[in-house]
Amino acid sequence: MIQDYIVFVGVNIVLAWSVYVILLAGSLSFANGGFMAIGAYVSGVLTVKFGFPLVIAALISGIAAGLIGVLAGFPALRTRGIYLMLVTVGIAVSVKAVIESIDYVGGIQGFGGMVGTTPWHVVGLVGLVGGGLALLSRSPLQRILDAVREDELSAASLGINPIYVKLTCFGVGAFLAAVAGSFYAHYLIHVSPDQFGIVLSVFIVLYAVLGGTNNMWGPPIGAAIMTLTPEFVRGLEAWRPTAFGVIILCLLLIRPDGLLAFRIATTRTKVVAGSKPKQST
Amino acid sequence: MLAEQIINGVVLGSMYALIAQGYTLVFGVLDKLNFAHGEIFMLGGFICVASIALGASLPIAILVTAIIAGLLGLVVEFIGFRKFQSPDAHLTAALSSFAIGLVIIDLSQKIWGAESVAVTLPGTLQTAAVSIGGLRIVVLRLAILVISLLLMLALYVVVTRSSLGRRIRAVAESPTKAALFGINVTRINQQVFFVASMMAGLAGLALALRTGYASSDVGFTFGLKALAIMAIGGMGDLRGALIGGLLIGVLEALAFHWGLGQLADVFVWLLMIVILLMRPSGLFGTLISKEVRA
Repeated sequence: MIQDYIVFVGVNIVLAWSVYVILLAGSLSFANGGFMAIGAYVSGVLTVKFGFPLVIAALISGIAAGLIGVLAGFPALRTRGIYLMLVTVGIAVSVKAVIESIDYVGGIQGFGGMVGTTPWHVVGLVGLVGGGLALLSRSPLQRILDAVREDELSAASLGINPIYVKLTCFGVGAFLAAVAGSFYAHYLIHVSPDQFGIVLSVFIVLYAVLGGTNNMWGPPIGAAIMTLTPEFVRGLEAWRPTAFGVIILCLLLIRPDGLLAFRIATTRTKVVAGSKPKQST
Repeated sequence: MLAEQIINGVVLGSMYALIAQGYTLVFGVLDKLNFAHGEIFMLGGFICVASIALGASLPIAILVTAIIAGLLGLVVEFIGFRKFQSPDAHLTAALSSFAIGLVIIDLSQKIWGAESVAVTLPGTLQTAAVSIGGLRIVVLRLAILVISLLLMLALYVVVTRSSLGRRIRAVAESPTKAALFGINVTRINQQVFFVASMMAGLAGLALALRTGYASSDVGFTFGLKALAIMAIGGMGDLRGALIGGLLIGVLEALAFHWGLGQLADVFVWLLMIVILLMRPSGLFGTLISKEVRA
């Protein structure tokens, strides 16, 4: 039981971070469920049919998903807002439908035989990704990401290539989702395309958004709460989706910026707007 | 028969178009995606089942479905969109309407079960057919086609010709300016949601009558595909949604005819992606201002 909790919470935390990385650069993705599916299937095929060790298969599947993410993201990131949302939804639905139509990986029946994930794998992954993000949040790269997210035009005027930055984040997000997906699949033993529908993708975004996306600790909190609450509240089993939906709505209505959101000091304050106009001198 | 398949495709497409017009209406006015729309469409079928089971005749069932679906639209607007009206809240609005959709699915599965429920109409209404020029066409499908086309025509006339339509277009253009001219923006939003959801409910009823079943998973398959169709036709453009719906309906029927049914879904979404990249305003959309606001 405790093993289940560790693995599922850990996988969901990494998934939430995979969306957080994409949100960092100011884009968004409803496709991470699809990338997770790519990770689960590619690594599953590698370990079951070709006998690769789990960790290497997970890395290869992550790189594959990252490449697919970059290829898909390259045109997708030209669009913004609602359009980007639609395009990523399209990617997620297409990935699922394509997997369903490939007989080599079992089609609608799903694909099985993956074993080997221990809770330590997941804990290690969470540690690595968390450590990487913590380093990132103290590095100059974080400021580049902030600049691109807050104002693409002025970032571009400072010599930053916003498309390159966004694309990198999209690829890294896809990579993380796929690695999480491959550990998830190797814990569950059997996966089917049904599990990776659009609902999963939206849930991953929800984990991040409910936790709060302006610091790296929000997404894991959101993921942990959303994963564990239904497990521990007895009598909720039967009403799980309804309770879930109501909780999501309440959180969104009460704390639209997320549970852990706090104000960060930015340079984008009144100083610029209220500074002395040049022509007065 | 190819011709019969094409007619089936047109009927299918008219249902897609009914849902897509609801998406497009909400998108045009609020600039937000309403992910609960597909679930109201799904519920339309069940409301029809329930009211027929309670002994209502078909016209009454249609009326009840339209009204309940419209009222649900008001609920969705109040819970999911009222608080998230700022331009950067589109992610929050999408997620909150999605959450409402989850609740609707779960509650309807609690009431009617997870399996699909059969719809039985009295008499031979579901099977009666006429033959026109050697083609055998089920009357019900013809009626669905005619009624949905009439509904869409009525909506088009209301939006382009009436004073309500003028107010709706004013709010779509700029809510702030519309409010300055004395238009009650909240009221307009409510009216838009009522009409959009009513059409979704009627589309759900039509689908339930056509297939003979009401099922709780059509929201994510059929309903979500209408979202792609809305984008293909042109976001915020009513004619685009109609033409896009008919186009996809016919293409899908042809795909099934040639045995490519499995790939039809992927095709629709890939087409949407390509079109959004090439022509963000959609195949038939001529909205210049939308691109600026996106």
